[in-house]
Amino acid sequence: MVDKRGPLLAVRDLRKSYGSVQAVDGVSFAVSRGSVFTLLGPNGAGKTTTLEILEGIREADSGEIEMLGNRVRRVTPAMKQRMGVLLQEGGFEPYLKVREILHLFASFFERSRPVDDVLAEVSLEDKAGALVRHLSGGQRQRLALGAALVNDPDLVFLDEPTTGLDPQARRNIWAIVERLKEGGKTVVLTTHYMEEAEALSDDVCIMDHGRVIAHGTPRELTAQLGQDTWIEFDTPDLEPEAWTGFPGEAQRDGSTTTVRTPDLVQTLDSLLRWSREKGVPLRNMTVRQPNLEDVFLSLTGRRLRE
Amino acid sequence: MKAVFRLARLSFVAALREKETLFWFVLFPLLLLSILTLVFGQLGQEGKMNFRVALADLDRGPSGRGQFAAVVEEVFLSLSVPPGPGKEPLFTVRQPAPGEDERQFILEQTEAVRLGRVAVLIVIPEGFSAAALAALSGSGPPALLGVYGSRGDAASGMAATIVDQVAARLNRELLTVAGLYRSEEATAVRTEWVGDTGAPVAYVDFLLPGMVLMGFFVAGLFSVSGTILFSRDMKILRRYWVTPLRVLQYFGGFSLGYLAMCVLQFALLVLVGRFGFGASVTFAQPLAVVYLVLGAVTFLALGFLVASLAKTAQSGMAIANLVNMPVMFLSGLFFPVASLPLFLRVIVLVSPLNYVAEGLRFSLGTGQLTVPLTLTLLVPLGWIGLSVLVVVRRLRWDVAR
Repeated sequence: MVDKRGPLLAVRDLRKSYGSVQAVDGVSFAVSRGSVFTLLGPNGAGKTTTLEILEGIREADSGEIEMLGNRVRRVTPAMKQRMGVLLQEGGFEPYLKVREILHLFASFFERSRPVDDVLAEVSLEDKAGALVRHLSGGQRQRLALGAALVNDPDLVFLDEPTTGLDPQARRNIWAIVERLKEGGKTVVLTTHYMEEAEALSDDVCIMDHGRVIAHGTPRELTAQLGQDTWIEFDTPDLEPEAWTGFPGEAQRDGSTTTVRTPDLVQTLDSLLRWSREKGVPLRNMTVRQPNLEDVFLSLTGRRLRE
Repeated sequence: MKAVFRLARLSFVAALREKETLFWFVLFPLLLLSILTLVFGQLGQEGKMNFRVALADLDRGPSGRGQFAAVVEEVFLSLSVPPGPGKEPLFTVRQPAPGEDERQFILEQTEAVRLGRVAVLIVIPEGFSAAALAALSGSGPPALLGVYGSRGDAASGMAATIVDQVAARLNRELLTVAGLYRSEEATAVRTEWVGDTGAPVAYVDFLLPGMVLMGFFVAGLFSVSGTILFSRDMKILRRYWVTPLRVLQYFGGFSLGYLAMCVLQFALLVLVGRFGFGASVTFAQPLAVVYLVLGAVTFLALGFLVASLAKTAQSGMAIANLVNMPVMFLSGLFFPVASLPLFLRVIVLVSPLNYVAEGLRFSLGTGQLTVPLTLTLLVPLGWIGLSVLVVVRRLRWDVAR
């Protein structure tokens, strides 16, 4: 559903430092209209700082932002009229009701949607009269999403929208994002959940240490790893010499070992032989196609959630 | 503007729903008003309180002191004897030292009354004995006893009432001793309010304006700073800043909500004061309204000032507490503050609450000005100005990263 009329948002060489820490270090990317664009990376990769610059909370030290047809250094109130923002962290007045919060946020914008429509969109109709302090974590996050969508924004920023939520609440948020995409909205999302990025994104930008280390569609990114298959299993703690004679190149992360192979049958056969010879049990073994986590692992030698 | 009004309405609604805010904002001032009125409203009763009284006797007959004057003097001096072991005498009487000029003494004591250091000055005028004698024999009006009180001082009002009662009793005694059973009086008390001629102030009328201001003060200091800091710490404000809402709009809406709470609190206090305790003070006067608004705005500014100085909601509450105790209890809100040690006077001198309270009481006719009227306006305005300066420079609207 990507509109080809050019990007709705583009940043070039964005930089931001806090003291000696370079939080954002020359980040560039473009977001097509009507697409879901994801910044994927571990905690501290610079995703949130990048997003906060685009949301108008912070100002970049340098770099160019082109957003909603404006080239700016800092986001203006007029641009905010067309933006919706779900912050990674943010509270609501605990003694206000859900409906009151949405009416309040609607009053901040020149143009807003009927509050009942927003309540329906985030499935909070039955909680409309509940005080914020009585909502569950998932309900609060849906309220936050409702507050971000109350002005029917063209561009929606979702900063780690599902962090800390249970699987059901996470699925609910995903469903809302999918509906936004179907409705032609442009969504910029940050996450450190590989499954989330894969499930929702048209484009993914992988960030680490304030830099973009890979960029493309999920399929393009995993295709970089070739046609290899990945074998993953857990082992008990082993002495280094136990690994001598291990078939293939293994990447070890704690007790988990990952083996990448172009010839699955041959590698599996060797692996099982090694296991028998060394007396090493291979627990929780899985065989799968590469995913974004593997892309990150192959680029950095680390896992996303480290 | 819709954002401002929506914010105002919802911050008012949220405050009403929060039990803690409701207690401090509404119930606490009402409770304090009730307790203080019930406990201290009876202060005029004998043996419960000690009044400083100055006594000047100007009645010098040809053969020395006038006889009636000496009797009156004795009566008041007898009231300065403690009624029992460990009990306070009703009056502590000051008289001119031997050789001291009586008229100079009167001038000094009048000023002391005006400043609230002496409750009342009783003056036995020249010719008092002769006039009393004439009155007793039916050939003249009652002899007048001069009492100078301070109209705004609750203690002064009570002391003057006691002097009146003493004079009435004296009358009965004199007439009985003289064997005359007449309805006319030999002596009468003429109370003169220094610089004014109003009626004595009931304690509840003295207290009510103080309670109103205390409510504004506590709300401003604790509720305003607490809400701002809590909203910042909990990143409620951050949610606002990613919308087109501007800081000034938020400030306006929040402030209107606070002022609405002040109006509610004021209305409740006045109703309880009037119908519960018989307060008769009327706030519907232009100058009184000016002081009420000035007070509410000053304490709103102080709340923002505390929020500017605090890093977190917790440290904000610590600062507010540090300011609250001395300012509230030394501002003469509950008791007429007469003479304080010098170091405490400094707090009184800079406390905006003191000036607003004095101005409000003066405008209501329940208090005297001890400072020029302009100061009662300028000092609070100065605090507002200072707060605005600090808030603009220092208040962080978002959490530090």
